[in-house]
Amino acid sequence: MPEYSINILHLYPDLLNLYGDKGNIEALKKRLVWRGIEPCIKECTMENPDFDLKNSDIVLLGGGSEREQMLVLDKLLEKKSEISEYVENNGTVLALCGGFELLGKTIIFENESHQGLGVLDISTDLSLSKKRLIGNVVIELDNGDRVVGFENHGGRIDIGNHTPMGKVLKGFGNNGESGFEGVLYKNVFASYLHGPLLPKNPKLCDKILLSALCRKYGDFTELSPLNDDLEERANSYMIDRIL
Amino acid sequence: MRKILAIWIAKLAAIAGRILGKGSSAGPGTIALKICPDIIERLKSNISKNVIVTCGTNGKTTTNNLIYTALKNSGYKVLCNNLGANMLSGVATAFVLECNWLGRFSVDYACFEVDEASTVRVFEHITPDVIVITNLFRDQLDRYGEVEMTVSLIKKAIDMADEPLLVLNGDDPVSSSLGANRNRTVYYGIGEKVLNDEDGAKEGRFCSNCGHELTYNFIHYSQLGDYFCSKCGNKRPEIKYEAKNVDISSGLEFSVGDERLSLNYRGFYNIYNILAVYAVIDSLSIEKSDFCKVLDNYKPQVGRMEEINLGKPVILNLAKNPAGFNQAIATVLQDSRKKDVIFAVNDAPSDGQDVSWLWDVDFDKIVHDNLNLLFVSGIRLYDLALRFKYSDIKVDEVCENIPELIKKCLDSDAEVCYVLVNYTALFGTQKTLIEMKKEKERSEK
Repeated sequence: MPEYSINILHLYPDLLNLYGDKGNIEALKKRLVWRGIEPCIKECTMENPDFDLKNSDIVLLGGGSEREQMLVLDKLLEKKSEISEYVENNGTVLALCGGFELLGKTIIFENESHQGLGVLDISTDLSLSKKRLIGNVVIELDNGDRVVGFENHGGRIDIGNHTPMGKVLKGFGNNGESGFEGVLYKNVFASYLHGPLLPKNPKLCDKILLSALCRKYGDFTELSPLNDDLEERANSYMIDRIL
Repeated sequence: MRKILAIWIAKLAAIAGRILGKGSSAGPGTIALKICPDIIERLKSNISKNVIVTCGTNGKTTTNNLIYTALKNSGYKVLCNNLGANMLSGVATAFVLECNWLGRFSVDYACFEVDEASTVRVFEHITPDVIVITNLFRDQLDRYGEVEMTVSLIKKAIDMADEPLLVLNGDDPVSSSLGANRNRTVYYGIGEKVLNDEDGAKEGRFCSNCGHELTYNFIHYSQLGDYFCSKCGNKRPEIKYEAKNVDISSGLEFSVGDERLSLNYRGFYNIYNILAVYAVIDSLSIEKSDFCKVLDNYKPQVGRMEEINLGKPVILNLAKNPAGFNQAIATVLQDSRKKDVIFAVNDAPSDGQDVSWLWDVDFDKIVHDNLNLLFVSGIRLYDLALRFKYSDIKVDEVCENIPELIKKCLDSDAEVCYVLVNYTALFGTQKTLIEMKKEKERSEK
């Protein structure tokens, strides 16, 4: 029996399934398994919409088309206070693309302002969504790590006073103007980057895993190292090409 | 005068391109359109019967070229952009190169493959009488946005034509939705379960009518199958050209109506391409007695399960998206010989710069008893390598040099080598293979 286990909740993969989210799930899963930690993945879908955040350690909210995204928002608003409580209690969330937008206070869609989940004090404007921001991205985190990914979003996010995930070295980022990408808040990791994000950014993946393990197990301090030669090569290869 | 000038300069450009060995099949058309923006309008009266346009994510080149082949073999003169350039400039190229130096030509039919994103632009110049839609899968997201956007573009394009005959893949809920509320639509499809369970990209598995998740009696691959919506009653339409009693054990064999077709083709997905061609030919009331023979004689475009013998067979196949790769892998698995497999993926603009789709391909299935060596290559070789690593699949080598990998395959004890590549990786690989073949023939003399 493994000593540690992590429950990953994947929200609505049936609707939010664009952009190879499977890669993020596999990265989270395998990097636990390789360290002898047991991952348990649960999916919340339109067919089985029940989920239990009390027993979740990592929540993954991906991206989909705008229409599907708004369908998911309606569903998730029913559990708004639960989600908020989970985040305030340092629950780990990885929200990507559309998922990033849904976490905010407001989303302007088809000239109407919609209420978001309000987990983050940010707002998204989808009215320019015909002019999508598309391309390879490199961002630099506070600790100097460089994260690579691909962005393709119609939304422009104003992150207010939140801390961004990183500084844009190449690409558009949150809105093409601020020079920043994503949001870090408590244990929420929100970003427009896919590609998928985690396989080529193993340090970021480990940071997410560590946040969940530390929250769940008071005695957990660090992850055992893995051989990331291939991951690091994939990362630096793209940085060299893009920058 | 402008017209003649445009034709002359475009034709000269094509000749120059051929001499210099770097002509593109879109180039002459681009030049002609610059000089004479309405060149297509001015030339289209030279087509006496119908204009047939084929679009869709996968299979459009094969389908269009097969339609061309079938029409030609029935004795008609046909204009076609069979060189593969499928945007407005490619269509214009076909027109100007067909002209004589006086700017005249005469054909019965024209058949064009048109890129989904270019349909509206092309239809501004020439409206088709028949539109074939092969399928609409997730493809090159960074270029098109989303499948929904493609659908609305094609809808707009169909509205621009004057009640065209629509020939749609009825097994595809996305393509079929384009036939709703239109009078002249025929559907083709495969009427029974043939392949083992498949689950690929889930795109389009929602009702186009009400958004509810579709239920399937059976799925062929991706979102293609016999579907219905339990909420609003929307369902797979009535199929006029339906393949039944399908046998894919050697080649492709199936019945449509009273006819039994037997073709020496590889790949289940080719049943759809053949059905689409059959539907077009039958709908136009064209004699099709030699249909199978004509199609068998067709030489596939570069890299459509193209076999090159280098002492052992090397089979080159193009796949551009999850549905295409999954089908290519399924076809490889049907070959029971011991095999080496090379995957190569590039990310040039015409490939799609976003390679996240690699995670939606069921690469895991390539692992089976008869797999010998597995190599990855192309510009995005590390993305491929990681894709396999996170599925616990051992890759024998990660290497940018495709010729070197092919040589290793030739030296291995496998009986056959498969090279599965996306668009821009295709032509370089084919060139390499042909050079290797020539070299081999030289050394044997």
